[in-house]
Amino acid sequence: MIKVRDLIKLFHADGSIVRAVDGVSTDVAKAEVVVVIGPSGSGKSTFLRCLNGLEPLNGGHIVIDGKDLADKKTDINVVRREVGMVFQQFNLFPHKTVLENLTLAQMKVRNRSKKEAEEKARTLLTKVGISEKESVYPSRLSGGQQQRVAIARALAMDPKIMLFDEPTSALDPEMVGEVLDVMKTLAREGMTMVVVTHEMGFAREVADRVLFMDEGKLVEEGTPEHFFTAPSHERTKLFLNQVL
Amino acid sequence: MNSKSYNLFWKAVLVVTVVALMGAFYFAAKRVDYTWRWKRVPQYFFYKAELPVKADDDGIVTSIADGKAKSTVNFEAETGEKYTYKVDSETLNVSEGEDLFLGDRIGYVYSWEMGPLTLGIWTTLWISAVSGVLGLFLGIVFGLCRISKNPCLSGFAALYVELIRGTPLLVQIFIFYFFIGTVLDLDKYVAGVGALSLFAGAYVAEIIRAGIQSIARGQTEAARSLGMTATQCMVYIIMPQALKRTLPPLAGQFISLIKDSSLLSVIAIIDLTRAGREIISNTFATFEIWITVALLYLVITGTLSQLVQWMERRMAVSD
Repeated sequence: MIKVRDLIKLFHADGSIVRAVDGVSTDVAKAEVVVVIGPSGSGKSTFLRCLNGLEPLNGGHIVIDGKDLADKKTDINVVRREVGMVFQQFNLFPHKTVLENLTLAQMKVRNRSKKEAEEKARTLLTKVGISEKESVYPSRLSGGQQQRVAIARALAMDPKIMLFDEPTSALDPEMVGEVLDVMKTLAREGMTMVVVTHEMGFAREVADRVLFMDEGKLVEEGTPEHFFTAPSHERTKLFLNQVL
Repeated sequence: MNSKSYNLFWKAVLVVTVVALMGAFYFAAKRVDYTWRWKRVPQYFFYKAELPVKADDDGIVTSIADGKAKSTVNFEAETGEKYTYKVDSETLNVSEGEDLFLGDRIGYVYSWEMGPLTLGIWTTLWISAVSGVLGLFLGIVFGLCRISKNPCLSGFAALYVELIRGTPLLVQIFIFYFFIGTVLDLDKYVAGVGALSLFAGAYVAEIIRAGIQSIARGQTEAARSLGMTATQCMVYIIMPQALKRTLPPLAGQFISLIKDSSLLSVIAIIDLTRAGREIISNTFATFEIWITVALLYLVITGTLSQLVQWMERRMAVSD
């Protein structure tokens, strides 16, 4: 489903060049849940943002569903329809109601009728447990509710892949659970997911595979059992000691 | 002192200050031995025009249908041709069977006509409205060009903004009217509206640019990650939020525009200011007319700012 080869992403900061992602290669199979962890500044968010072209790549290849993002002929908008993304800061559209947040892209990008889009939106709002809030504006919702709307908004496009960029990092602790529950349900239903998170519990419970990144490099990858019980790299051990 | 009596006290001070200023103005006017003639002002808003109705030929009044307000006079000329006249009943000057000669007055028709001040308000209003809409359009286009990645577009927009903001509007109006207007053979209204629109557009462009840049990057990222094109993202996500956020400075700009339109009086457009000047040159009622003109501008700009406040309140529902 996703094929990443020698991915390189550079940032220019104060005249020096930072290799934010430095030669990462990996594959994500259909229905696989991959969790990316690593210290802050390790390039894990940048890696995720490369996967739907929010950050243009400086080298290597990302092939999503047969389409290479490094190929100039690839229409990035077509790829993005199939790749949903959930952000740390939710990024709901504040001038639209919850329902409109879910229907806008369906109508404009997927060319669905208003009725169709609203039906889909209501189904998804029920699924994430906030069907009663469809006509309020996002600012009236709690962080957990906003994030669930954001997940529903991404799902409304019927994506084949879902990317999560630290979806619980901006939430109050008591709201983390409700968002993780929605994500677990998605994983169980067979959604292909790439999740950047600090929630080690989630990684252990839901991930099929864990990637550990540091300084732009993919240091170690493996099953959660391997990863949390017998990591092979020193950096991984050090990191796990700090967070667990 | 508690906050309630504190407020009351300083509000009283405010009222006293304003009354004192008005009093000072009044006594200053007294000292220059000015005769106030406020009664002369209303006729410049509306006046009763009287139009004499005269016989078109020599002949005889055959019959008169005397209505309450209007009377219909049937008149037969010596040539046999028949005429019908309508005049105000109380001004009827002829009776049945009366012989009339060409040019004899049958009566008057009165009508209420708009005076120069009313016409001036209308001119100021429509010129400001048209320039405002065009200025908003120019501002959005050039504001978007300003943030474009294309160096030609952004450079051109920057040049335009600098050029307009760096020169006085009065000079721009002269250049537009006497130079561009002559070269392209433009009507004075086209030249006037053109100059005002270009002027407003430059300021609006900067407001729009700032508004767009104030919208968090995450909004663009969210829209783009849903597969929207850059244009869709701008139209449905960024612009609505930016326009809402820039409503107060845009309103300020349009209020300025209404006031700035008074400069168009230099190219013989009879706006409110010019109408005032022309009335003064006839009546020498300088104080009354300028005060009236100032109040009229205040009414227009005040109404607009009330309207904008109402819009802001309505749009605040999503905050």
